[in-house]
Parts: sequence; structure tokens; C-alpha cells
Amino acid sequence: MALRRTILLLSAVLVLQTLANSQATAKAGASHSASAFSIPETSSATNSPTPLSQRVVAYDIEAKYDAVKHALEGSEVLTYHNLTGQPLDRFPFHLYLNSFQPKSTWIREAKAMGSRDVRYEKWEEKYNGADEIKSFEVVGMGDLTSKLEFIQPDDGNKDDKSVVQVVLPKPVAPGEFIQFKIKFRDQFPETQARTGWKRDFIFGGQWFPKVGVWWNGAWNCHQFHVTTEFFADFGVYDVKLTLPQNEVVGATGVLVNAVKNADGTQTLTYHGDDIHDFAWTASPRYKVGEDTFQGSMGPVQLRLLMQPAHWSQEARHAKILKQTLEHFERWYGPYPYKTLTLVDPEPDSAAGGMEYPTLITGDTTWWMPDGIHLPEVVVEHEFGHQYWYGMVATNEFEDAWLDEGVNSYTEVKILDDVLGRNTSFLNQFGITAGEREAQRLQFIGVADVDPMARKAYEYASFNSYGGITYGKTASVLLTLEKLIGEETVQKAVHTYFMRYRFTHPTKEDFLKTFEEVSGKDLRWYFNQAVYGTQVLDYEVMRLNSYPAFWYEKDFKEKKSETVYESKVQIHRKGDFIFPVEIEVRFDNGEKVREHWDGQDRWTRFTYQKKAKVESVEVDPDHTIQLDRDDFNNSRSVGPRAAATRKLANYWNFISQFFAQFLTWWMV
Amino acid sequence: MSDERNLISAGLRIVNRHKRYIFWFWVLNLTLAEFGTAAFRNQMHGMLDQSLFADKLLHGFDLAVLFELLTIPETGSIKGSTMPAMYFVILFFVATLLLMPGVLDGYSSEGRLSREEFFRTCGRNLWRFVRLCLFFAVIAGPIAGVLFGIKGGLLKATDKSTNEMLPFYTNLISSLVIFLIMTAIRIWFDLAQVDVVVRDQSAVRKSLAAGFRHARRHLLRLLVTYVVIAAVGLLILGIGMWSWYTLVRPSSVVGAFLITQVMFILWLWARFWQRAAAVAYYLRETAVVVPVVAPEPIPVQPPAPLAPPPEGTAA
Repeated sequence: MALRRTILLLSAVLVLQTLANSQATAKAGASHSASAFSIPETSSATNSPTPLSQRVVAYDIEAKYDAVKHALEGSEVLTYHNLTGQPLDRFPFHLYLNSFQPKSTWIREAKAMGSRDVRYEKWEEKYNGADEIKSFEVVGMGDLTSKLEFIQPDDGNKDDKSVVQVVLPKPVAPGEFIQFKIKFRDQFPETQARTGWKRDFIFGGQWFPKVGVWWNGAWNCHQFHVTTEFFADFGVYDVKLTLPQNEVVGATGVLVNAVKNADGTQTLTYHGDDIHDFAWTASPRYKVGEDTFQGSMGPVQLRLLMQPAHWSQEARHAKILKQTLEHFERWYGPYPYKTLTLVDPEPDSAAGGMEYPTLITGDTTWWMPDGIHLPEVVVEHEFGHQYWYGMVATNEFEDAWLDEGVNSYTEVKILDDVLGRNTSFLNQFGITAGEREAQRLQFIGVADVDPMARKAYEYASFNSYGGITYGKTASVLLTLEKLIGEETVQKAVHTYFMRYRFTHPTKEDFLKTFEEVSGKDLRWYFNQAVYGTQVLDYEVMRLNSYPAFWYEKDFKEKKSETVYESKVQIHRKGDFIFPVEIEVRFDNGEKVREHWDGQDRWTRFTYQKKAKVESVEVDPDHTIQLDRDDFNNSRSVGPRAAATRKLANYWNFISQFFAQFLTWWMV
Repeated sequence: MSDERNLISAGLRIVNRHKRYIFWFWVLNLTLAEFGTAAFRNQMHGMLDQSLFADKLLHGFDLAVLFELLTIPETGSIKGSTMPAMYFVILFFVATLLLMPGVLDGYSSEGRLSREEFFRTCGRNLWRFVRLCLFFAVIAGPIAGVLFGIKGGLLKATDKSTNEMLPFYTNLISSLVIFLIMTAIRIWFDLAQVDVVVRDQSAVRKSLAAGFRHARRHLLRLLVTYVVIAAVGLLILGIGMWSWYTLVRPSSVVGAFLITQVMFILWLWARFWQRAAAVAYYLRETAVVVPVVAPEPIPVQPPAPLAPPPEGTAA
């Protein structure tokens, strides 16, 4: 009986437990069905066994490209994971291709400030671009196409359609997923801002509706500006591209499937992990080069799509690409992706020198001599973006310098090492130029116009944007080497990369890393260099020597016996306060080094020696890259007219040549 | 071909016989260029003469340093130096226009022209040469405009081609065609100038017509002559630049000066050679043909009758 009771009791417990379990399972199932979506945990496109980023988005895109009309029909399924910690009831999307319309903010700015590609003297139909949303559905909320509205968060230009927003009928709870199903049609322009077609070439960049980034407690989805690039969340991309079979295609990520269709098209499927954009290119005439780089996380397949007339430069491109990869891995951190595609775009296509995840474009011509290192500079620079734009992924709309400028700094370091400090840009017919100086030259003409810490679209001019964002940032970091040492700066850049890759760090994250790694308070420097527009310029104001005892009776000057009093005066001409070294040379070969904190407006050094001062130089080691004028940093007592004579001879040569050329034809 | 060679060598003989013209034109070219450089030199003295950094321009040629020099506000605008240089380029052009009649007179004369004769010819032909120059501008300007327009159109058309080399070859070939056409026009006007000087022709239009006739009659021959000499000029330029790059140390201003001046003398020589060839051609074409007069036969007169024999003698 007791046994029977026990059995009955156990049975009852078991039944209850089973019921409880089934209810729990049903509940879990209900929860799953409410959030039936997820972001894949794949890592097949990287050499990492696990995801590298906090994945917010998953794009599943199918697109068919019409090579005749330069148009594309696409459908996009976007899964978004709300990791913002708060409910979201509105979502903004970038429609970048809408920027290529005459009344858009991008074109207006290009007209006013100039752009890097087209002058827009007359509007032509071929300049038109469009990204039209044909239908917009939110899974579980129905078709919301009619709810879409264009917004202009930056300038209020109602004619700008580069950002569209949808307000949801009900918000997406924190931690939940939402899925958008968007059908769209693209009309590519003739290449502008590195996207579009040229002849039979196409570069598909910024081509699909792309959700903004929830950043610092708000949506960050700026309009497209002539000086801005991009900002997006990390995620997974699966893209099926259908194009004519004669097209040779390159794209972000890894090719996972290729099918030849009966209608003469091919469908190529690409997959990308831990990336925040997807670009592709096609041309029937690409010649393909392949290579492998053995990275620290695994092999990287290098694919080079070269123009036929540039095929002889394929090895040159592969060489600099591998040298750059090797330097980045050694100095800054590992490259985790399995592929890297280098595209040599159509000549005159305005598609050269651009970066997308695992895909970059170079820039060369068929006649490029070995001594002009433009292809090397461009390839190095664009690859560098894989780290700063690609993995660290700062906000390029607001802090462009964190990508372009940091990248320019690493470009200088690597090209100095690979091609030589004074020859990294040009080494032809005895004429040289270093990339380091090229960066400096960019900013000295606009040194006091804008601070680095300024939104990219708020710069005074296109020149100022370029000069400050690229050139000044590189120069600020190179000058920082003087303060905390080259190794410390390199270590800080390495730390910054390793700590903040696959996040969206801010400028303060970057600056604080330097203070942390160096153990120094550098705020005084950053306040002037990053947040300020102070100009750094020191000059040798005056130098002279006279016999110290000239007033004595029967005084006669005797070499090596007469004591001279020498005075050297240094002037801080700019408003940037910076400590400097000064080297004073005497005519007996003696050199004296002085240190000045630069706090006052000028300083004077006085010597009594049996030698006269011969020359004075501020920053004799040439470490202050930020100094706007290197010519006034030194001064000698005696005239040194040889350089003037040399330049005057060149001038004379040009004058004589023109005079003879004119009379050859006209008389 | 032998005709062209003859024209080339005839021109060479003339130009070598009158080397002093080249020398004086070179002196003029150099002097005016030196004046044109003065403003630039002064500008650079202020910036470079006491700066140790200027050494980067002396030992080697760092383009970045040069750009820095031209970018910094302390240097000031380079326009202030460019304009004087342009004025002196124009002055050389005007001086050449003024002195060329004397040169052509010298080339067409057997002996050496005295200084007075030289300048008298220059003065007498000055206005004629100015008019010829204006005619040249009126005729060659629009033709050049049309040719360059066609070239631009062709280049635009080839821009659509997927063959990257096509625009280059189009550019090359069209530039060559333009060069040949412009050279033909130059030949025409060179011959007209010779006609003005040799015939002391004050009606420039007549000389233009004569020049056109002569040029058209043996255009190919003249064109080949001119192109061959121009090729020599181009070769001189190439060799000069190469020598400058390879033989002269970057810091050697004297070496660079000497090489470039030799180059400019030879360049002048090439252009004067073309002119001399034009003179040789013109003189040949217009040489006065002295009719060959056959000697008149001396009339054969019947021998005078002998004195009649005395009467009564037998014949």
C-alpha cells in the first residue's frame, strides 16, 4: 500500500513536472516566435573561430544588375538587433545614391566647395543617381511604404533625399530583433564619389538602403555630404548578385557560390562576417591576379582585378599590398579576414582610391614610371582603411580625422620604411618627395582654418577638410613622437587598434589611449593640436657676436683668442606653445644644444666664447612636423646663396625656353 | 631625297657661315631671361640665403621642400616674379621680330653684311615684319583653333572606347598632324619673310602670295627639311636634359648653367638652320635665269676675187 501510495505520489510529481516543463517549453517557443529572427553567428569569412564584433545587423540582399541601363533591381532583408538598451520606434536609412541629384546637399556642396571628381559646370543626365524604395515592409507590422519620409537632420534641405525614416506603429523592445523587407531600384550615375559606371565598368558602392547607427543615445544617420564618408554597424552580409556572364566580378567578403543561369547571366553569392558595408565591381575586361598572404590569424587570399593596359603593374601592386599587410600585422594588429580584393578601376572613372570592407581601389595609369609611387601610396592608404575605417570603424561623418588622419599617419610610417623617408612619394630623375612632407604640405596652407575635432561637413572648404583631416592629423601624430617617443606612439596606436577594433570609439578614446600608454598628461598638446586651431611656428629672430672686451685699450681681434659675446634670439611666431630644442653652432666647430619651453613669446641665449656664433637652428632633428615654416627655423651669419642661385637658374631656364619656343613659332 | 639633303646641307652651310647671329641672339635671350629672373632671385634671396633648410634644395631636389617654399605666406605670391619674366619673354619675341630681317639679309648675301647694312635692313623691314606677324596670327590662330578643336573632339570620342591606349595614340597622332600643318604654315611665312627682305618688297601681301606659291610648289621637300631640322632640335633638347641629369651634380649651379646654355645655343641654331634652308630654297627658286645666247655664226663671205689676170693670159 505504502508502495502503491508512493508510486501514485511519484506519478503525480512526474506528471506535474512534465506539465510544468511543457508549459515552459511552450512559453519559450512563444518567445522565439515573437522574435523569430537572429543574427547569424557565422565566421566563415574570417580567420577567427568566433564572431569578432557585436553584430547589430544582418543584410540578406538579392540584386540584379542591368549593365545596359546601369540600373539594379534589389531586395533586401535586414535583420536588426536592438542592443541600444531602450525601445526604438523609428529607424533612419541612408539612400546614398539619391545624393547625385541636382538639388541634393551633396551636389550643392560640390558646386559651392568643389569636389574631388566632377565639376558640375552643366548638369547632365549621366550624373543622375537614385536609390528608390519600391516597397518597405516590417515583418509583423505590415507594409509601411507610405510611412516613409525623407529627413534632413544636418541642413534642413528639403530637396535632399539621402536619408529616409520610418516610424513604427509599435516600438522594438530592447534586446529584440526586427526585420525589414525592402525592395529597391538603383540608378547608378557615371562615377561620382567613387560609385557608378564608366564605359562598361561598374563600381557598386553605397548602393542599398542602409540603416543608421544608434550612437551616444541617438540615431546617427547623417545626410551624404561632399566631404563625408560613412558610418555603420557591424554585422553579417549575404549578397546574391546577378549580372551578365561576361562580367568579371569582385566584391566584399568571400565568394560562396557561383551559378551560370540559362538567360546568359550569372549569380554570385558573397558572404561577409564582422563588416559594416558591402561593395562590388564588375567589368568584362578585368585581368585577374591572385596571391596569398600568410597572416597571423591565417591565410589571406589576395585578388587583384587589373585593367588590361596595367597588367604589367600587377606584381608592383601585389608587392606593396603584401608589404603593407606585413607592416600592419607587425605594428598594429592582425588582419582577420580571409580575403582582400584590390581593384584597379577604369581609367578616369573617379573610382580610384577608395575603401570598402575587404575591397579597395587603387589608382594608376598605363605609363606610370617606377619612380612615381602613386600606386604604392594609394594601395597602402586604402589598405590602411581596413584597420581604421574597417575594423575600428569610427564615425566618419563627425570624426573623419580618426580614420583618414590616423590612416595617413600609418601610411607615412609604412611608406617611410618601405620606400624611404624622402623618396616615398617620388624618386624620379633626381627629383624626390617624401609622403611625410606631402602630408605636411597639405595642411600648412590651411593651418589655422579648422580644428581637427570638427564634423566633416562643417569644414570651411574642401581644401581645409583635406588639409586638416589628412595632413594635420598625420603631422600631429608625427610631432607627438617628439614628445613621447616614436615607439610609444606606435605602441599607443597598436593599443588603440587592439582595444577598440569592432567598436565605434570616439576621439577621446583615441586621445586617452596616448595618455595612458605614455603615462603623460598630453591634454595641453591635444587642446591646441586637436581641439584648437593654433599654428606652430618658431623662427630664429636674431643672432650676432661681438668682441666681449671691445672697449679695452689696444684691443685687436685674434682668431681663437678673442672672447666674443654672442646672442641668439628665438621667437615663437605662432600661437601654438610647444617645447623646442635649439642648436647653436660656433665657428670653431662647437655645438651647443638648448631647450626652451616656448611659454614666452621669445627667448634669448647669451654666450661668451672664443668663437663667434655661426648658425642657429630650432628643431635641429626635424621632429616637429607641425611647424608651419621650416625655412625660418634656422639662420646662418654668412650668406648661403647657392640654393637661390640654383632656383634662379631653373627660373632662367624656363624663361629662356619659353622665349625661344614662342619665337620659334611666331617669328 | 637628295634635294632635301641639299636643302638641309645648303641651309647648314649658310647658318654656319653666319654663326655670329646665333651668338648675339643667344646673348639677347640669356640677358633678357636674366632680367626676367631678377624679381624671382630677389624674392628667393630673402627666403633662402640664411636658412639651413635651403640646403635640401641644393643637394638633390626635394619637390616637397620647393612646394613648401611656394606655399608659405612669407614667400609671397610668385605672380610678382612671373609677370616680369613674361615681359622679358615678350621682349625677346619683339627683338627677334625686329632683328630677323637683318639675319635673313645676311643669309641671302654672299659676303658679310656690315653693321650699318644689317640694321638698315632691320629698320626698313620692321613694319613689314610686324604686318607679316599679324597675318600669321590671323591665319595660323584660327587654323590652330580648329585643329585643336578637332583634336579635342577626337579625344572626347575615344574617351568612350574601352581601349585605354586609343586616346593616347589619338592624342599622339593628332598632335603630329597639327605639328605638320603648323610647320607648313610656318614655312609659308618664312618664305614670305625672305621674299620681303630679298626683293625689298613693301607690299607684304605680294610676299605672302609669293611665299605661298613657293611653299606649295615644293611643300613636301620643304616640310621634310623643316621636320628633320626640328627633330634635330628635339634631339638637342633630349640630350641636353639627359646630360643635365646625368653629368651635373645637383649642387653644381655652374655645371647646370653651362649645359643649359649649350642646349639653348644649339636650339637657336636649329631654328636658324630652318630659316637658312628657307633662304637657300628661295634663292634657288628665284635665281635669275640668264638665257644662254648661242654665238652668232660669223657670216662666211666669199673670198675676194683675185686680181684679174693680165689680159691675154690663159685662164
